[in-house]
Amino acid sequence: MADEGPEKLEALRQEVRAWLKENLPEGWGSPGYVAPERGSKEAHDLGKAWQKKLCEAGYTGFGIPTEYGGIERSRAEIAVIREEMLRTGTPPPAASLGPMIVIPTLLRYGNDEQKKRFIPKILSGEESWCECFSEPDAGSDLANIQKTGVRDGDEWVVNGQSVWTSGSKFADWGVVPVKTDPNAPRHRNLSYFVFDCTSPGFEVRPLKQMTGDAEFSETFFDNMRIPHENMVGEEGQGWYVAMATLEAERGGGIQFVAPSRRIEPTTLGGVDIYVELAKNTKRRGMTVWDDPLFRQRIAQFAIENEAMRHSRERMRVKAMKRQLTGNEQSIGSIFSREKNQRQANMVAEIMGANIQFMRGDPRALDDGSWTYTFLRTRGNTIETGTTEILRGIIAERMLGLPRSRG
Amino acid sequence: MAIEYGLNEEQEMLKTMARDFLANECPMTHVRELMEDETGFDPELWKKMAEVGWLGLVFPEEYGGSGMNFRDLSILLEEMGRAVLPGPFVSTLLLVGMPVLAYGTEEQKNEILPKIASGEAVCTLAALEEDGDWWADSINIRADYRGGHYVINGTKLFVPDAKVADYMLIAARTKRTENPEEGITLFLLDTKEVYGTMSTLLKTMDETRKQYEVVFLNVPISAENILGEVHQGWPIMKQIALHTTAALCAEMVGAGEKVLEMTVDYLKERIAFGVPIGSFQALQHRASDLVIGLEYSRSLMEWAAETIKENDLDAATAVAMAKSFCGDTCKKVVAEGIQMHGGIGFTWDHDMHLYFKRVWTDDNAFGDSNYQREVVAKTLDEIHQLAGGGRWAKTAGRLTQMG
Repeated sequence: MADEGPEKLEALRQEVRAWLKENLPEGWGSPGYVAPERGSKEAHDLGKAWQKKLCEAGYTGFGIPTEYGGIERSRAEIAVIREEMLRTGTPPPAASLGPMIVIPTLLRYGNDEQKKRFIPKILSGEESWCECFSEPDAGSDLANIQKTGVRDGDEWVVNGQSVWTSGSKFADWGVVPVKTDPNAPRHRNLSYFVFDCTSPGFEVRPLKQMTGDAEFSETFFDNMRIPHENMVGEEGQGWYVAMATLEAERGGGIQFVAPSRRIEPTTLGGVDIYVELAKNTKRRGMTVWDDPLFRQRIAQFAIENEAMRHSRERMRVKAMKRQLTGNEQSIGSIFSREKNQRQANMVAEIMGANIQFMRGDPRALDDGSWTYTFLRTRGNTIETGTTEILRGIIAERMLGLPRSRG
Repeated sequence: MAIEYGLNEEQEMLKTMARDFLANECPMTHVRELMEDETGFDPELWKKMAEVGWLGLVFPEEYGGSGMNFRDLSILLEEMGRAVLPGPFVSTLLLVGMPVLAYGTEEQKNEILPKIASGEAVCTLAALEEDGDWWADSINIRADYRGGHYVINGTKLFVPDAKVADYMLIAARTKRTENPEEGITLFLLDTKEVYGTMSTLLKTMDETRKQYEVVFLNVPISAENILGEVHQGWPIMKQIALHTTAALCAEMVGAGEKVLEMTVDYLKERIAFGVPIGSFQALQHRASDLVIGLEYSRSLMEWAAETIKENDLDAATAVAMAKSFCGDTCKKVVAEGIQMHGGIGFTWDHDMHLYFKRVWTDDNAFGDSNYQREVVAKTLDEIHQLAGGGRWAKTAGRLTQMG
């Protein structure tokens, strides 16, 4: 697939710009714009509607076969589209779990009917998804899942509980690994299902987290029935299908974008907002930017962002040469999550007393979103596998160190 | 600019060849022999390096070179870092060879470059003085114009490989104005033709690289031996610093990766409490952190080398970013390497300390990780002002959320 000439790419850039102008929500980017409250139905619907628009315009679904609703685009085209979206910012994709984790899982383990049934509606934003993985006693030790599934004719009867279910409040469909063979050894006793969230016996109870939001839920399965045709992969293969889901989730930050020629002056290596914040924040008579300690920390994040950009490209090239095992994703996952946390800590220290103001207080900067991020990033190093679990993966699977003894 | 990630076939060959060559010609036993030697220079090894084409690697063929590029050179430097190779490779090629190629007159190039490529000439740069910092203000040794030629007086410090250098590039002050970057002139000295220089070996930490004090006492030198223009030496020195800094990143990453490999091997072999110590999570997680740091060091180092190869506008920023990150990471790697080896890693006989000393010396040269980070901060400030800062203020926060 030949890359497009510069004129065609420029035409695409203009097309995307015009499209964004036409389609972004009313008032987007202006000081008066108030985004719908995080986690609200309104925010969810906005995200779904945005996904639908992206799909219709051909700005999503890259690299997914066209028979499943995807679109073929060159790397250069994808880069142009993403650059333009980054420039204006876009509504957060409320239904991001579907594209991020369900599509890669189905592409790898799903049968043709499942792919045809589910992928197009994920891309079009019609159906959103939740992920029922963690249980009260199966978090880092995910293989300890206790949910049971018993076969009854063409159906499976599922009982049990999940916690930290992402995206569940408004989800239409879910993915869940279930213990279908209590006598089989660990890693061989699970099967993986997709299920309809309107099924009788499925209950969602919001779980309030330290941010004050209920982004996650506890979900309960009480004799909920799943048709056998909704099993993804083989019976007993569920652990490996679940690993594919987690791999996709941990690699979620990995987007194969062609690096632009120059360090983007518009994003300053991704730290423009911190430079801006530091220059506009005065503490004890001087701006934070004039404090070398903070300046060094901000510069460090610019360096780390560039490092991540080039590492992603190195990984992409390795993937093309089939030199990747999948374990390498742990590197980027640990680094980016811990970096988020360190960035948020820095922001809190820049803002001082003002980091205390939450959304709703008129003194809250940017509607309290800095404070929200500060609190929310505590979860970054836990969700999708704690960074300790990921360090264990690097040690044992990449370095070949013996299984750990704690 | 097309950044080439990963190695092409020729580069893979160069890497394999370099690793084999250094394992055979300069194993650790030989490194230690050269540490004991006052010059740290092995003429036989140097000749062999010339024969395989390393000494003229990036020179055009007309000057006896192999016509390869800076990325190829950085691959070689990684391998040299792995081997803690002693000797004047960086001094000869990066501190003198490349600037002569870029700024020399045709006569200067014809005189020096083929001799470097063939192994006949070893070169070095006398830049630093008493404070040891790479900045224009510290260049104070005088070159006074007297009746048709210049006379150099003063003392240079931290001059690598001075004793074996056939040519010495000297940064001297020919004029003092408000702006310290003005009035520096680079002289190319044929050490065999002049009297009045005296080199004394410094007793320094990294004994694989010999450094000297060089005293110049009324050393006469002709204006023909100026590299570039009179008073205009600093921009050339900035270029030397840029290239050598990128080269040192490659050397540090090579050394860091080797230390990680040695450490992981040790974690698998060493038994304590009846089990390999690599089964302890406390050590596993520390080893994993080094993997993470080295992945990003390598990514920045390769990018920096590519920007130099392509003469890209981002080169200065890329190199500063790479040096800052590689320096921080590799300093951590060599320290952790010693710690995870326990007592044996602290002994003179174990090789860990050679890597530790090399990496700390490399990090310091041409500005350490903190200095380089400040360079990045200044660049951010400039771009921010150019971009007409303020435009993100109203949307700040929205972009900080995790993608």
